[in-house]
Amino acid sequence: MIWEVFRQEQAGEYHTHCGNVHAPDREMALTFAQIQHGRRKPTHSLWVVPQPEVSEVDDEAATFGGTTDKSYRWVMPYNRVDPEFAEEIAESEAEQRDADEQRSEG
Amino acid sequence: MDLDTVKERAGPREFGPGDDMPEEYRKAATRMIQFHANSEIMGAYLEKPFIRQSPSLDRKLAFSAKTQDEIGHGQLLYRAAESLGVKTREQMLDELAAGEGKFLNCFHYPMTEWQETPMIAFFVDGAAMRRQATLKRTSWEPYAHAMDKICFEEGFHIKHGEDIMRELATGSKRGQELLQEAFEEWWPRILQFFGPTDDDSTHHDFSADVGLKRMGNDELRQAFLNAYIPKAEKYGLEIPEKPRIVEEDGTYEVIEEDLDWEEFFTVAKNEYPSGREQINGRKEAQEAVAWVRKSLDDWEHAGTAGASTQRAAD
Repeated sequence: MIWEVFRQEQAGEYHTHCGNVHAPDREMALTFAQIQHGRRKPTHSLWVVPQPEVSEVDDEAATFGGTTDKSYRWVMPYNRVDPEFAEEIAESEAEQRDADEQRSEG
Repeated sequence: MDLDTVKERAGPREFGPGDDMPEEYRKAATRMIQFHANSEIMGAYLEKPFIRQSPSLDRKLAFSAKTQDEIGHGQLLYRAAESLGVKTREQMLDELAAGEGKFLNCFHYPMTEWQETPMIAFFVDGAAMRRQATLKRTSWEPYAHAMDKICFEEGFHIKHGEDIMRELATGSKRGQELLQEAFEEWWPRILQFFGPTDDDSTHHDFSADVGLKRMGNDELRQAFLNAYIPKAEKYGLEIPEKPRIVEEDGTYEVIEEDLDWEEFFTVAKNEYPSGREQINGRKEAQEAVAWVRKSLDDWEHAGTAGASTQRAAD
């Protein structure tokens, strides 16, 4: 059985999908989810959901976010600042520093 | 979805399990991700003995954490591969045990000495990281998601590998000599990490057309050499005369004919003797823990564990 895993970093925030685990029951899915997904990134709470219980609506069936241009509320158009300041290792390091900072703040 | 539509739409993270993908795409993606997953597992087995053999407690802990990460990466990737609906995880693990599953050339060679560890943990992992960073933009979304987590974790592995190299390179004369010896032994294998040039790579064109691969082997090898040759030199390592490497305008090119491609293809077919030993070693480990899998499966199929019956059990 596959269980979808959702992580909440801090109380009051959204649970965000972060992956899935193989487990034979709910209790073990929670245990495996802690080991695979709650070990390094800051974690306040985890949800596990049986994959067949998840339903989906996609962009063929719905127009997410409306039909007018709302690109201003995204980072992408602000492309005069270059986020590609470093390469893959530096990026990995920055991500880990971030996660660590968030952990110690939380 | 037909193949032309796939090629047209083949952007980063464009396709997922909800899309009806043509068989050619699903097979090519499975081949690629299965290879990647197998490599994570085989690499972990190569490094596992150093949990015991590390010269200090710090290194021991780091190798223990790293090995566990790599096995986890393997599991993430089998899940990403499984989501293509071509093979199950069990099938892929059994193929690996049977010597049918392919994996990275460098993990077919024995690693027994401490001074060899940075060859994997710095150079090979560094080469892998070059490739993996580009795969964050692969068209198969579950694969890209696995890459996010893997790249997030991998910085630790490579910095750890470099730290071992730094320690050896700045230590005793004897340590420096052993490091140089290990480097000379591993260097040709590391150069072969990205395989032969694109012209000879049968799978490249299709994988690039459908967005599975984002960068060709030549370009990746180039990018790797540009970053890692200066690193090797920084630690006083002498680049062996053969294979010849031509430097021009700050970029490097390997003279391919100086490398042993017969050995490479023997390795690629899982026919290299030390590679077979690695495969069989993991097979034995897989058999030794069969009871764990069996008890999990029995529990799952007993019917008390399924999602719909869980409420009653609760």
